[in-house]
Amino acid sequence: MNSGTPFIKVINLSYAYPDGTLALSDINLEVFEGEFIALIGQNGSGKTTLSKCLNGLLKPTKGDIWVEGLNSKNTPIVQMVNRVGYVFQNPDHQLFNNNCWDEIAYGPRNILLPEEEVAIRVKEAASVVGLAEEYFESHPFFLSKGLRQRVAIASILALRPKVIIVDEPTTGQDARQSYEIMDFLTMLNREHGHTIIIITHDMPIVARYARRVIAMANGKILADGETAEIFKQVPVLEKASLEPPQITQFAQRLQNYGFDPGTLTVEQAVEQFQQIRAKVISSE
Amino acid sequence: MNKTLLGYVPKESPIYEVHPFVKLFFLLVVSLFPLFVAAPEWNFGLLVFLLLLMFLCRIDMRTLRIYVPVAISMGSIILLSYTVLGGRHAEFQVVANVFGFPIYWERLRDALVVYFRILPMIATMVFFLSTSRERDVIVAMRSIKMPFVVTYVFAMALRSAGMVLEDFHIVRQAEQARGFDTTGKSLAYKIRKYVMYMIPLFALSLRRAEEFTNALVARGYSFTGKAAKIKRADYVLTHYSYKIHDYILILLITAAFGVLLYLSLGLGFFELDKSQFIQWLHQILS
Amino acid sequence: MEPIIQIVNYSWKYPDSENPALNGVNLQIMPGEFVGIIGPNGAGKTTLALSMNGLIPGQYHGIKQGEVFVLGKEVEEYPKGELQMHVGMVFSDPEAQFTAMTVEDELVFGLENLGLSRNDIKERLEWVVQLTDLQRLLNKPPYEISGGQKQRVALAAVLAMKPQVMVLDEPTSMLDPLSRKRIFQVLRQLRETQQHTIIMIEHSLENLTPLTDRMILLSEGNVVLHADTRSFFQDPTLVERGVYPSEVIQYFHQIKKRGWYEDEIPITLDEAIEVQEKLLASLKVFNDRKGL
Repeated sequence: MNSGTPFIKVINLSYAYPDGTLALSDINLEVFEGEFIALIGQNGSGKTTLSKCLNGLLKPTKGDIWVEGLNSKNTPIVQMVNRVGYVFQNPDHQLFNNNCWDEIAYGPRNILLPEEEVAIRVKEAASVVGLAEEYFESHPFFLSKGLRQRVAIASILALRPKVIIVDEPTTGQDARQSYEIMDFLTMLNREHGHTIIIITHDMPIVARYARRVIAMANGKILADGETAEIFKQVPVLEKASLEPPQITQFAQRLQNYGFDPGTLTVEQAVEQFQQIRAKVISSE
Repeated sequence: MNKTLLGYVPKESPIYEVHPFVKLFFLLVVSLFPLFVAAPEWNFGLLVFLLLLMFLCRIDMRTLRIYVPVAISMGSIILLSYTVLGGRHAEFQVVANVFGFPIYWERLRDALVVYFRILPMIATMVFFLSTSRERDVIVAMRSIKMPFVVTYVFAMALRSAGMVLEDFHIVRQAEQARGFDTTGKSLAYKIRKYVMYMIPLFALSLRRAEEFTNALVARGYSFTGKAAKIKRADYVLTHYSYKIHDYILILLITAAFGVLLYLSLGLGFFELDKSQFIQWLHQILS
Repeated sequence: MEPIIQIVNYSWKYPDSENPALNGVNLQIMPGEFVGIIGPNGAGKTTLALSMNGLIPGQYHGIKQGEVFVLGKEVEEYPKGELQMHVGMVFSDPEAQFTAMTVEDELVFGLENLGLSRNDIKERLEWVVQLTDLQRLLNKPPYEISGGQKQRVALAAVLAMKPQVMVLDEPTSMLDPLSRKRIFQVLRQLRETQQHTIIMIEHSLENLTPLTDRMILLSEGNVVLHADTRSFFQDPTLVERGVYPSEVIQYFHQIKKRGWYEDEIPITLDEAIEVQEKLLASLKVFNDRKGL
């Protein structure tokens, strides 16, 4: 499936909180450039902890994380964040500058880029997220939730990380907003070559957008593979207290009639019915 | 392990058998003791007694280590302000000269008295907060019939503090995720930058305040008017009942206070001129 | 039967926005109904919910037009604190609505506000704890329980007050799937006893659809569509209007559009499976007949 050197390599990673509880145990993982991965699991499964280890926010208690050849244990955070970006779920947790320009410029300035370069990055990031120039002088606090989210994403994009981890992109959004943000991430993945990792438990979204799924429970990886393959493994999903999307369950319960148990979207199910129907009608 | 306001106390600790009111009573009365005692050795003894109590209640003594630097710096500040920064007084006795500043005996003595008064008062507070869960404090306040609004504001303050702390951790990580790094930077730099944290915390609290108030109103809590005059059942008090040992403890604390008052105001037992320690120190320095 | 909530030509405009959040809404809700309110973010769903329990206009500034009647009386005519006893509300943020320092205190707060005696409180507490399975969490402080558990507490706290109407504003949007299911389980039980009128705002149509008697679609401050649940989902223009029904419903609309299916759209997964099996069987029958 993937050739070449992985961009991120996780070897025997374990992470324990200061009071001793084990959040992650023996995680082994490779992430290649250009992937679109969904990290799924219940709250407390370790998916957020794992992501924070990947971008250096948390240091492993045991094991190693190699990002583009750098070991996260002895690499200062400043060198990690322009390789692995992390977009927090609530934009209000990170916006604090007086205007959007400074907000987006914050990251590049932290990694000590010259001002001309910072300006280029800010304009670039703003245009990618569709933030109009008129908002550069606005105070983020007074913008709508959607705009604040865009400013937050732009502020990470300005660091030009190859990997972008997005925490719960669709929680609290309505259907249309969810598709918008996911289409946006797909665009970043296809047109700009970013590797996208989404942390989520929105299974229909995972089915539609992610090409690879990593399912976690109790600090361990239960399954790691192509989306359709993972959704076929219903007992594994059950262990993670998750269910496949409704349309997948529909297809799985009608397997004997010819539906594919790895059906991921309504469109796929419709296509399959077309084929089944055609077969039945044409078999004279 | 149960988490208390200032630390952790294991579930088997005897302090849980005591009604929260008794703990509050202890705090209020015993923290007054040092006011009637001038002799430092007696106040020091009270401090040792309190530390012993903490040990008996199975407080994790390691959490008390945080207070050692506090105690030292506080002591130094008191000493400095009383002696070096205390001005010149011709009528006082000079016992030493430091960098041209005269150190007066009277000032030194007063500094010691103040310091050893403050230590047990703080220790009583620490003892109370280390052995009380949030609910205990609220129960204690309600059992002395404090107005509901006061106890509720206190409870909300605790709740808000908890939420702000959680937010603080996330905000800190969000900033780090954009390259903010304080390792190796000066304290002044850190302070300047930590001001940054105030803004998202403020914004988050503001946004949350609206839902918080809505939740209160939706549960029928009226801040004014007829609804505020309803007699509250104080259901939480049903979990706590006074037992024999609670009454005995209250009696003991009151009796101790009574004896203290008699000895102090009546007999002048804790006066400075009766203090062995002060006399001994005076002898050495003169 | 008199409607328990009647909204007549109701408009509400917040002071800092140009357009009204709700524009001439007319709505009737009958006692015992389970009504779902759906629509895109910004449509005015929360505003509508807050209008039903008096928080609007009680806590908010704005311009009101029209009337909102709850239990026959206009919302503004209720003395302070009384309407909230009849209409309970659960909000979407598990953190912000947990105001006490232990689960039990949270459950008891509303009951104390009602002025109930200790014995009554004890009874209600036992009942609601059993219903929502909170026994093991009673003494825990908020920082020791998860978001899903907090929402269960919120639901229980409102239930304990025994309001006639319960308004739920996206109570599961911040929860993981397992916690979400548990909340819906409690709601399912409530629906069966039918003592409460329940109004629920939700995005997760998959979970909401099996529970509701009626669905209301709100968009840009107006009621755009409302019908009993089954009829509601027969409408083929839902997706255009920004409503994404559960996947099996979308599926059946698609195959109906292509002329491969003519009957009623099933609204739950189990129904959908049944219908699909019958459809496939009928194809075979049709085929077999053709062969004859």
